[in-house]
Amino acid sequence: MLRFLEELWLLTGRSLKVTLREPWAVIPNIGISLFFLFVYDAGLSGIAQLPAFGGVPYLAFILPVALVSGSVGGAGAAGQALIRDLESRYFTKLRLTPVSRTALVMAPMLSGMIQLVAQTVLILLVALALGLKLPGGLLAAVGVVVLAAGWGLGFAGYAVGTALRSRSGRTAQAATFIFFPLLFLSDTFVPLTLIKAGWMRVAAHVNPTTYVFDAMRSLLAHGLVAAPLLRGLAAIVALAVVTLGFAVYTAQRTLRDA
Amino acid sequence: MATRALLHSQDDPEPARQSPEVLDSRLALSAKGLRKRYGDGAEALCGVDFAVRKGEIYGLLGPNGAGKSTAVQILTTLLLPTDGSAQVFGRDIVRDQDAVRRSIGVALQDTGVDPLLTGFEALELQSRLYGATRRAARERAHELSSMLQLENFAHRRIANYSGGMRRRLDLALGLVHRPRLLFLDEPTTGLDPLSRNALWDLVRAVRGESGTTVFLTTQYLEEADTLCDRIAILRAGTVVAEDTPSRLKRRMRRDVIELEPEDPGQVAALLRLVRRIQPAATLEREAVRVHVSHGATIAQELLAAVAGAGIALAGLRVAPPTLDDVFLELTREDGGTDTGEEA
Repeated sequence: MLRFLEELWLLTGRSLKVTLREPWAVIPNIGISLFFLFVYDAGLSGIAQLPAFGGVPYLAFILPVALVSGSVGGAGAAGQALIRDLESRYFTKLRLTPVSRTALVMAPMLSGMIQLVAQTVLILLVALALGLKLPGGLLAAVGVVVLAAGWGLGFAGYAVGTALRSRSGRTAQAATFIFFPLLFLSDTFVPLTLIKAGWMRVAAHVNPTTYVFDAMRSLLAHGLVAAPLLRGLAAIVALAVVTLGFAVYTAQRTLRDA
Repeated sequence: MATRALLHSQDDPEPARQSPEVLDSRLALSAKGLRKRYGDGAEALCGVDFAVRKGEIYGLLGPNGAGKSTAVQILTTLLLPTDGSAQVFGRDIVRDQDAVRRSIGVALQDTGVDPLLTGFEALELQSRLYGATRRAARERAHELSSMLQLENFAHRRIANYSGGMRRRLDLALGLVHRPRLLFLDEPTTGLDPLSRNALWDLVRAVRGESGTTVFLTTQYLEEADTLCDRIAILRAGTVVAEDTPSRLKRRMRRDVIELEPEDPGQVAALLRLVRRIQPAATLEREAVRVHVSHGATIAQELLAAVAGAGIALAGLRVAPPTLDDVFLELTREDGGTDTGEEA
């Protein structure tokens, strides 16, 4: 077990090191998240005066969208890191070492998660600078980071699974477009009660992202409230079980006989 | 299969043949009936046996697509065999993968190194993945970079390395844990002659210093001839010959005559002419080549005919067979079993 953790740490460290050497692979993603935050807050904040928002400032309402889109990017980075190693054939070299196969697949995910947490903290700090109030204090902020990381882990399972399956950067990149329906078929811009299209309401109910948004919003606006937080965590666990299962299954198949 | 019988002749037994158990303990690698069928039904290996002795440099020689890479991938645990078994120092390559991985070092043509790392970092990480402490890993990285003359580049990113430097780094990465068996897959393909010679020296040094066994694949006959103690020739997934390079050449018992016309346009005419005397003559690049049992006699006859036809020659070679000749003979599409025998 100790050996496994050491291997995981060595491989994750390597992955982070090379990520920092190519910062332009990550910076646009943070930029897009901040862009969402600025543009939607600047353009839409007036609608928070509608009673459906219950007095929650629009900044707190839209912040989870920026965080979730950022965490998708961080998770996508996990898939991209793996693709880089598959394409450079470094992955084959690593497979020739006696290193745990699980560590080989988990390292890029863990490195993606670390990036994602750093990114989430950064976006939170920007939001605080923009005037975000946190009635829940530090605990609420930590909760938001945990939710973003959890959601990202779920997405990382998907990204890593598709990367291993397709072994092509382009296909894996294309597969991350699932992020659009996940992000936008939800109560992304306004509360569910304001969404009039029936199909959109159904989609939002089915979409696990909705519950993550709601949990984050509740943390940001009211601090720790059990019900939305538990629903958010349940959505994350459900997503992660499916996608990590897919990643493990694909990894076993491709690592066994590639 | 005349050639086959010829090359596995029974009258030349291995020196000091021992009982199987004793023999096994002298083997670094043994494989029995290795078979690999891919999903699309293509059979890359059709039941291959290898017995590599400890401390020898063993070459697996074959044209593209003969199954060399598949064999190496199976023996290094990257690929599962469809059938058959293999042991590395007695450890099974399927059931005991971790033990096998610990005892082998591998520099495969189709592996790479993260181009964003420096050579030194890659070496250090590789050591640590085999369980070395940070300090031991650094020492080993220093040691290997100086042994492989990488010091000047050790702290540069691998993306900036030349082909020769990458091969040396690859070799160094395969050596970090002092493996007892080193696999090299086409180690010098694409290298200039200078780098090639340097790499050969390195391989010899590795074997000389630590008694490491080396299993290498190559498509270069010269490489097999000068570097390997024994070679196996692989054709279409089957080992068609296995012996020392000199014995393989000797067993062919035939000379090679090569005639090259002054005017390349006359090569077809020259071939027709030679075939009247030696029907098995073939065209190899710009020259007409024929295998015969008495080179000098036939050469005189051929020269007279060529002079009579007024074809000017740019080159004439009468020589004992090279490994090239053995290889061409054994790997020809038609099996090459019936050419030249009648001469």
